Amino acid sequence: MTIKTLSIAATTAIVSLALFAAFNPTAARAADDSSLRFDAGNVEPASLTLPANTPVKLKVTNAGNAAVEFESFELHRERVVQPGQTITVYIPALPVGTYPFFDDFSHGAVKGEIVSR
Amino acid sequence: MNGHAFRTVLWSAAFAILIAQFVRPNHSNPAVSGDLLAPPVVKDALERACYDCHSNQTRWPWYSAVAPFSWWIHHEVEQGRRRMNFSSWTDYTSDPGTEDQKLDEVARLIANGAMPPWYYLAMHPGARLTPGERIAITRWIAGEKSSHTSSSMR
Repeated sequence: MTIKTLSIAATTAIVSLALFAAFNPTAARAADDSSLRFDAGNVEPASLTLPANTPVKLKVTNAGNAAVEFESFELHRERVVQPGQTITVYIPALPVGTYPFFDDFSHGAVKGEIVSR
Repeated sequence: MNGHAFRTVLWSAAFAILIAQFVRPNHSNPAVSGDLLAPPVVKDALERACYDCHSNQTRWPWYSAVAPFSWWIHHEVEQGRRRMNFSSWTDYTSDPGTEDQKLDEVARLIANGAMPPWYYLAMHPGARLTPGERIAITRWIAGEKSSHTSSSMR
């Protein structure tokens, strides 16, 4: 095998990996779905799926008229979100599992879950 | 209530308390995964006043093995650890907003005297924070938050 053949193989591998990373449906879904929206006593989506073992920047928006507190004991996260505000919550790489969250200001009446798979 | 009825109630209560001793909550202390780092004066004060309920380094008193106190104390520690756990503080630091909010809560609850709670202080008078310790804690928290702000602006 010549050096030229090796370099062509390496280039092909690198380009293939780059294309896979750019168009990987899992990666695209993570970028698109990593947001939660609190509004009028509801949270959408109530069940959010995130890729397992991947850190995620979760956007949390409060579209309601009162402050909410995004809290999850399992995720060790607690953030107040003022009306009209969008914050970024850093979610670490999570093992496969279900991680409940709730609005502490509603005493848990508004709640959902993050599913890592 | 006549004497016979009174004795029946008394024996029933004693029997119930005896049976209750067999329902024993788990009083283990999980491993410390990432303890809070703070200056000694702050750390000592927090350990003395807060760590029994808000860490994995709980000092379980003898009466924590006696029902029904054991159930109540177990519930308090479990809730305390879920709300804020100094022994896994590094879990919060991976989201600076969460760490700042936890620090805010510590400062607010200590400044207004809501923590440690009165019923805990009644059993642990040594856990009472001095005014100097409260000031040291709130100053340290202000400094921590200020350093977070300046590092995020860099």
